[in-house]
Amino acid sequence: MTRTSAPAAVVTGCGVISPYGRGVEALWRGLVGGHSAARPITRFRADDLTPNVAAEVTEPLPDDADRAGVFALDAARQALADAGLGAAPPDAGVVLGTTLGGMEIFETWVGEARDDLGHVPYFAPAARVARTLGCAGPVVTPQLACASGTHALAMAADLVRRGAADVVLAGGTDLLCRFVVAGFNALRATAPSAHPFDRDRSGLILGEGAAVVVIESAAYAAARGARVRARLAGMGAAADATHMTAPDREGGGAARAMAAALADAGITPAAVDFVSAHGTGTVYNDAMEARALVRVFGPGGVAVNSIKGAVGHMLGAAGALEAVLCIEVMARGLIPPTIGLREVDPACGALDLVRDAPRPQDTRVALSTSSGFAGANAALLFTTP
Amino acid sequence: MSLPSGDVVVTGAGTRPRLEGAAPPVALPAPAAERLPRVERLSQLALEAAADALAQAGLGTPAASRDRTGVVLGTAFGCFLTNAAHAGRLCERGPQGVSPRLFAATVSNAAAGEVAIAFGLAGPGVTLTAGAASGLVALGHAADLLAAGRAEAVLAGGLDATGETLAAWVAAGGLDAGRPLAEAAALLVLESRATARERGAPVRAGLLGHAAGFAGDLDAPRAADVLDHVAARACERAGLAPEALDVVVRAAPPAYTAMETGVLRSRAPKASRVLSPKDMLGETLGAAGPLGLLMALQDAPAGALVLVLDVCPSGHVAALVARAGDAT
Repeated sequence: MTRTSAPAAVVTGCGVISPYGRGVEALWRGLVGGHSAARPITRFRADDLTPNVAAEVTEPLPDDADRAGVFALDAARQALADAGLGAAPPDAGVVLGTTLGGMEIFETWVGEARDDLGHVPYFAPAARVARTLGCAGPVVTPQLACASGTHALAMAADLVRRGAADVVLAGGTDLLCRFVVAGFNALRATAPSAHPFDRDRSGLILGEGAAVVVIESAAYAAARGARVRARLAGMGAAADATHMTAPDREGGGAARAMAAALADAGITPAAVDFVSAHGTGTVYNDAMEARALVRVFGPGGVAVNSIKGAVGHMLGAAGALEAVLCIEVMARGLIPPTIGLREVDPACGALDLVRDAPRPQDTRVALSTSSGFAGANAALLFTTP
Repeated sequence: MSLPSGDVVVTGAGTRPRLEGAAPPVALPAPAAERLPRVERLSQLALEAAADALAQAGLGTPAASRDRTGVVLGTAFGCFLTNAAHAGRLCERGPQGVSPRLFAATVSNAAAGEVAIAFGLAGPGVTLTAGAASGLVALGHAADLLAAGRAEAVLAGGLDATGETLAAWVAAGGLDAGRPLAEAAALLVLESRATARERGAPVRAGLLGHAAGFAGDLDAPRAADVLDHVAARACERAGLAPEALDVVVRAAPPAYTAMETGVLRSRAPKASRVLSPKDMLGETLGAAGPLGLLMALQDAPAGALVLVLDVCPSGHVAALVARAGDAT
């Protein structure tokens, strides 16, 4: 199969609702500030949850039962404004990952007729964004568990590359609710605080929020004189095909997804300046990921961080938020530290982890990698405009 | 970057329930056969349909390395029933009564993961939802993965599991599909024509074009324009004039049949066969598009051109154009 060069997909705007607040600037200040946003859960009953700590969004938002939809809509509007688009073009697409969607409505539903049940399905947040903003292009909700937001950007880029849409709003949204906190606690995957790549790490903390970016074809962006924030130069996805809940110990799927993203962009591992790791802070994930990163980049081959000790694991939104992180790192020449990392696990010792303080570094190529339940892995590769 | 039009072909198919005249069901590989009774319903449907589809394509034996074979599943409701079971336990027994195994199966991509493990398919593993248009969107995404060189073969299609809690949610105002929900799975093996030739795999059909869109409120006048535009885009990508289409597969909820008829009148004016599988089977949700395609292919002469529509009350719409048989 021969491939010729496809039209480039570029990012022209970003929007974020994170546990640090509304907007990319609030996220950045939090990440370089060095303090985790995790605290005891206050928004819903948590006295019977152990642990009961998570990174909640505390920003005042409209009183609306569809919290994931509200996050997504807010982030999408920010992204459009950032891209200099007053409104979404009528044929714009929406590709928005989620793992919970309207789960909080569902978990409190006891069988009665209710007018908010339409928000329950996983396809509902993307549909709400499309309906509210008047988008008539392809509307899809990728479901790759914790890699959903990552693959959302890849799908959006492919839509743009093959001419199915000029502009796509892409990202992820997820919310904290009892359903997910109790579930992760039962799996013993959570801890009172998260310490990615740390010797004494014992689990993740959950987070919530949304990240949405505007992806468009380079030609469309140029024609309207848009400021290009980054090029989405490569993407890859691969299944572990080994186990339903535990990652492949050797990091096979993660390594193949990253290698595929590099090959897609035609970029060598040595040219990559920064990797935003999945870095959940669980024992198995971080060890698996360290092996995968060393396999792709060699020992100490690239600067790596994880922001999940800071904003928690935002599940379907995580990969999209980390995409925004990559873009900001390239724009600002600064890499936020891995909040929560105290003493590096010898099993992760071959990584060049950014820790303790932000690291100034000229960054022209950045990669984000994500892994999820059921062996899903996805990676994105960004370059400066 | 695209493969030439018609270069993505179908080399295998499997459905649940099985279509009349389909080959006998194929046994699952041993570890998956043992797991089958214990996995959630969506995974059971996926594993059984996948076994048939892969066997027909000559890919039934798990291989040591299938890094270039992907899985793309479309589902309207994913693990809704498992979600309900987990939420029910949490409500009745509190957090201490929650089952980790049950919670782990609440991810919608559980079925894709089970299939990947059972058959060693370690290429891109994607699950997606676009409501009742999920099946055609999944076939389209799989074709895009092949066209972009991200995989050599993809097991792709749609499926949904039904049950008491889903029916109760629909009845309480969740989604008005206008027909009773019906459980089904329809999975296809897609690959490039070149790969199929190399392997000596029989080509059952060629996928020529696909498109998707969002019609918002189906009662609004704009909805017909969006469906029309999506059907037109699929034909345009297939390089076909409306007059060329021989068979159409319709999918709109009964309340929107007139709108759909209007679109089909202009987009496939000469079609001699019109199938409406949902009138026979019920609302098969994510399975609808791929299942409709297979039903249309079943007794279509080689070379027949088929337009399949997917329409969900949520506003998600999709269209796909295929050519029956091995004609190039």
